[in-house]
Amino acid sequence: MALDAQTDLAELRRRLAEAEDTLRAIREGEVDALVVRGEAADEVFTLEGDTASYRSFMEAMEPGAAALDGSGRVLYLNSTLRELLNSPGDEPAGKPFVDLLEPAARAVIETLLGDAGNGRRSGNLQLPGDDADLYFLVSVAPLKIGTISGYAVTFAEVTQRVRAEAAEQSERAARAVIASANEAVIVCDRDGTITHANAAAAALSDSELVGRPFAEAVPLTFPDTTGLVQADDFVAMAIAGTPVQGIEAVATKASPVKDCLVSAAPLRVVGEQVSGCVVTLVDLTQRKAAEKHQLLLMRELDHRVKNTLALVQSISSRTLMNEDTLEGFHKAFNGRLRALAATHSLLSENSWTDMTAHDVVVAELAPFVPADSSRLALRDLEEQITPRAAIALGLIIHELATNAVKYGSLAVQAGTVEVSRVSMPTPDRHALQLEWRERGGPTVQPPQRKGFGHTLITRSMQHSQHGGAELLFEPDGLVCRISIPGDDVAKMHG
Amino acid sequence: MTDQGSQTEKPRRLVLYTAGQTPKSLAAIANLERICSEHMPGKYEIEVVDLRQNPKLAREHSIVAIPTLVRELPIPIRKIIGDLSDEQKVLVSLKIEGE
Repeated sequence: MALDAQTDLAELRRRLAEAEDTLRAIREGEVDALVVRGEAADEVFTLEGDTASYRSFMEAMEPGAAALDGSGRVLYLNSTLRELLNSPGDEPAGKPFVDLLEPAARAVIETLLGDAGNGRRSGNLQLPGDDADLYFLVSVAPLKIGTISGYAVTFAEVTQRVRAEAAEQSERAARAVIASANEAVIVCDRDGTITHANAAAAALSDSELVGRPFAEAVPLTFPDTTGLVQADDFVAMAIAGTPVQGIEAVATKASPVKDCLVSAAPLRVVGEQVSGCVVTLVDLTQRKAAEKHQLLLMRELDHRVKNTLALVQSISSRTLMNEDTLEGFHKAFNGRLRALAATHSLLSENSWTDMTAHDVVVAELAPFVPADSSRLALRDLEEQITPRAAIALGLIIHELATNAVKYGSLAVQAGTVEVSRVSMPTPDRHALQLEWRERGGPTVQPPQRKGFGHTLITRSMQHSQHGGAELLFEPDGLVCRISIPGDDVAKMHG
Repeated sequence: MTDQGSQTEKPRRLVLYTAGQTPKSLAAIANLERICSEHMPGKYEIEVVDLRQNPKLAREHSIVAIPTLVRELPIPIRKIIGDLSDEQKVLVSLKIEGE
């Protein structure tokens, strides 16, 4: 009996401990359901609140939603989120929520769950969709269900917004690219109507471009294609899928009219389908002008070489006729060639543009008397003259200087030469008149015969009606009056 | 839910009483699976009894609060009430003398 009593006592103690443990567990919220013995049968009552109603609420929500317990385990997923996470067959309840996610999404959710104790947290993540990734704004907030503290997680899909933003950004980028291009860029739709045009394109037309057919808005002529190609032809070709490259055209409505290099390419925005075309027009005006200039220079060079050769030939034969000895010929001929070369050097330094009379005189006198010498006075010689006049003036000054060194004022120590601009009555009011005047040399006697030097001086400027030079043998010193025709003064002369 | 290990050693027989998918029930299932597979692989059998489906099974072990884990074997029977989140307490209760 004593043993039975002990056993009973132990059993009673065990029951008491169990009852106390049950009460403690209920009080401390370690359980969330109780079995209640009814009259007919036992019934289970849950302490977590009305689960059915929060679940039906979650099902009614449009976004994907999850209820998690405090350790991140799934209490419930609505069907939207189950489909998104591709786990309709698996029973997700009780599993850690992050185990249902791809690594990238998992990292986002883990961070949000870590922070959500302090209130609602949101983040963005991507989930793989049928065709492309879907974008979600995920929000995690603390949640209390009955005695349970957990988290409410919602997945609001923002794919359309993200795509619209991306499209808008790419549209902006495309517009910026078109606007920043140096070339004229015109975009047409499938009907050949202009949808976009940049500033360079606007300059090719006298009116608004957008909304008008290309060929009408930017009329082009194609000088090299015998009229067979028209602007709407190559736009149609590009829209049909064939690129057209590098056709030379003239934009007739541009102001001023412009030479252009036109290309057109099909515009493919999505996949292979052509949704229009892109026409670019490169301004060739400068290149054309450069080509014309170069051609002009080539012709000019040709012309000048021929002229120079003829001049050299003439100087050579005339010098030969007027010199008695080979030595005399050699000296005179070389002197004249040097004179020609000096002017040519000047011309080449100036790229065959106008130069001042002063430069020519200084260059030709350099072998005889330096420009800064007190024996030389140069006045008002800054007028620009053409290359043609420069060559003639060079030869004249050379002959005058040679003569002055031999017989005139430069032959004696005290003699001087003055070259200055003078005013004389002339029918050519633009003519530049220069005077060479020697002083302090031996008394001048008119020559017995006129040598080639004389002829060269008087004839050199006679390429024009009002050009010329005359020699005056004044006793105090030789005077030469040179008239450079107005055509050769102060303007470019081809 | 059953994992029978070596035949020479008698496995623990564990019965977990749950009430559908209440949070504590879900947590208790997950915790029990984790503890058993980590600490006594191959040496346990688990039976999960959903009292919401079948309330009268509560009588067998006089279950009042859910979740409750019952160690049926080896005897004596032990009960652990709650979601089994206190791993040390669970291990102590499941411990067999001499192990």
